[in-house]
Amino acid sequence: MAAKARTSRRTGAAAGVLLTPFFVLFTAVTVVPIGYAVWLSLFTEKQSGLGFDGAESVFSGLDNYTAALGDRAFRDGFWILLGYCAVYIPLMVGGALALALLLDSGLARARRFFQLALFLPHAVPGIIAALIWVYLYTPGLSPVVRAMDSGGIGFSFFSPDGALPSVVNIALWEWLGYNMVIFYAALQAIDRSVLEAATVDGAGAWRTAFSIKVPLVRASLGMVALFTVIGSLQLFTEPLILNQGSGSAVTSTWTPNMYAYTAAFARNDYGLAAAAAVLLALTAALLSFAVTRLTTRKGARA
Amino acid sequence: MSRSWTRTTAAVSVVTALALLTGCGGDDDSSSDAGRGTADKPVTLTFWAWQKGSKDVVDAFNASHKNIRVDFEEIPSGNAGGYAKISNAVKAGNGPDLVAVEYPMLPEFVSQGALQDIGPHLTDEVRKKFLPQAVDLTTLGGKSWAVPFDAAPQTYFYRKDFFEKNRIEVPRTWAEFRTAAEKAKKADPKARIATFMPDDPTTFEAMAWQAGAQWFKAEGDTWKVNTSDAATTKVADYWQGLIDDRLVQTAVSFSPEWTAALKDGSTVGYLGASWGAGVLKSTLPDQSGKWGIAPVPTWDGRPASGMLGGSTWAVTKGSRKAAAAVEFATWMSTTEEGVRARIAPGTSSAFPADVALRPAAKKAFDAGFYGGQDIYRLFDEAGASINPRWSWGPTTGTTNTTLKDQLGKVSGGSVTVRGAVRAAHDATVAELKKRGLKVEG
Repeated sequence: MAAKARTSRRTGAAAGVLLTPFFVLFTAVTVVPIGYAVWLSLFTEKQSGLGFDGAESVFSGLDNYTAALGDRAFRDGFWILLGYCAVYIPLMVGGALALALLLDSGLARARRFFQLALFLPHAVPGIIAALIWVYLYTPGLSPVVRAMDSGGIGFSFFSPDGALPSVVNIALWEWLGYNMVIFYAALQAIDRSVLEAATVDGAGAWRTAFSIKVPLVRASLGMVALFTVIGSLQLFTEPLILNQGSGSAVTSTWTPNMYAYTAAFARNDYGLAAAAAVLLALTAALLSFAVTRLTTRKGARA
Repeated sequence: MSRSWTRTTAAVSVVTALALLTGCGGDDDSSSDAGRGTADKPVTLTFWAWQKGSKDVVDAFNASHKNIRVDFEEIPSGNAGGYAKISNAVKAGNGPDLVAVEYPMLPEFVSQGALQDIGPHLTDEVRKKFLPQAVDLTTLGGKSWAVPFDAAPQTYFYRKDFFEKNRIEVPRTWAEFRTAAEKAKKADPKARIATFMPDDPTTFEAMAWQAGAQWFKAEGDTWKVNTSDAATTKVADYWQGLIDDRLVQTAVSFSPEWTAALKDGSTVGYLGASWGAGVLKSTLPDQSGKWGIAPVPTWDGRPASGMLGGSTWAVTKGSRKAAAAVEFATWMSTTEEGVRARIAPGTSSAFPADVALRPAAKKAFDAGFYGGQDIYRLFDEAGASINPRWSWGPTTGTTNTTLKDQLGKVSGGSVTVRGAVRAAHDATVAELKKRGLKVEG
């Protein structure tokens, strides 16, 4: 009895020692900054006269939230994200899955080479990737645009219609290989005897792929979908580079994240920026909750 | 191999971190005498700027002064992130003592409370040296907020050889400018005599200024915002026409695309300002002797100009070395040595706001690139024609960001120039209201 109590006390102490660093860091780098952002979002800088006597920070309740929600530019950002997700997620998940299935099938030659080649873009930092693509999109400089023009396909990547495809293309280039590797690993983990059984039962390659392999990697599909949705909400670097370096139709408030950035750093309205960031975080939390619920329920039924 | 590399990296990062820590801790050499140093006990100033030649000026100052030491840090140009850097540093309480701020942005910084009134350190004698327009733009609410450095009258840069070869006359009015653009396009289907820079709202604003618009007017304690006046509308429609008829090139300001078009000769002109002379000269060394500068075209043929950019030196709120900072800023702006040190290296063609220094600037700038043209006399005349009625409002950040966002959509056709101005107007009024200021417009 006493020994048991001692062990549990010791376990408790060990748990305490092991968990403390986590909670200290968690508090310092997550809880406190979020709290500070919420705090900031409740204040507005007010000025008097013509505005040249300096600013005074005044408690303004939820004013910054109504200001953000009332700003068309902020709301438009969510529509753009929605459009982005609608184009990007099917292409990404479908493309990565198709490539992984191809590599996993008996058809593929030079498997390791393709795996590496497809993964390589992911090793390039987002900023660099965006800069490379801005170059490739710029008429007058880009060999790609020149080739397209001489081939009769005139497409302006910087036009209002071209903005979304331009960003989706950069994101696909960066993330396709990464997600392909996740799917490929999941496919490799499938018990080979299941696949043999399918072959014995007369299933062809297509049938095996769609009726056996895909259902068996559903967990990875859910995970990739979740990460992609959250990642999409955070969309920032690539469109920012397009905005600042190219004179494209990507505005400085194109995504909600960029709206917050511009509010803070171009308009110097930290309260508004904090409110926009909090709203975005809430949206992300709600969405991840919804996606997790959906995927786990599906998984449980399967 | 890889392990030792990692270890080196780790060591380097630790050392950097320590250096940063000690750097933060060691910055409290607060001087009791309001920051005017002596040879025995010099004051150390930090100075952030991006203007060409700043490093050379700082070196010259440090070499000739014992009471003040200036630590210079080059930052990205204001709209490319420099302003954000300054205002964040000031907010965080670790800003530099002296910063570069362009005239349009000065009221925004003042209204944020990021700068301090330098009136007590700026004598009337110094103030009288400057172009009155520059003094007006740095005096807000009756206080002095910055030492003007240059004036930036608009000018038109053009390829003399192209204009002569194709017998195109250098345009004096905006009507002639359009004709010249058409002729150039006819002579060479690829040639454009100017560039529409969708990322740059200031060129458009300078044209509205030149045409007599007055976007911001302070009356009592109310801001009157007016962007739908006849002058602005005229300028907006004029640019719309040039863009719709593909008479101008579209490229981001100073981008590789813009440079490439200048290099291959498809862009044969540039609507800029006095400081652009140094930019072209250092960007296109191969085209030396081929460029000329003309006064910017006007609407009625009589000289008129807006101001496109132009820099001032301002002391930040937290600085306790205002006296020394103003002394250094005044040296940069109003002494021959200061101006010569900046211009002689060849990258800056600054046009001093201090009228008496123009001969010195002219002597220091090698105008060989412009075939020896007397460009400073041209700047002088253009500078005198700067329309004195314009003033900037306290929301330049919002106004210009919105205008820039909308201008980016103009060449695609989904937004008109007039619509872009309208959007900037609405955003400006909303921002002024949000700050609790009285506004009409």
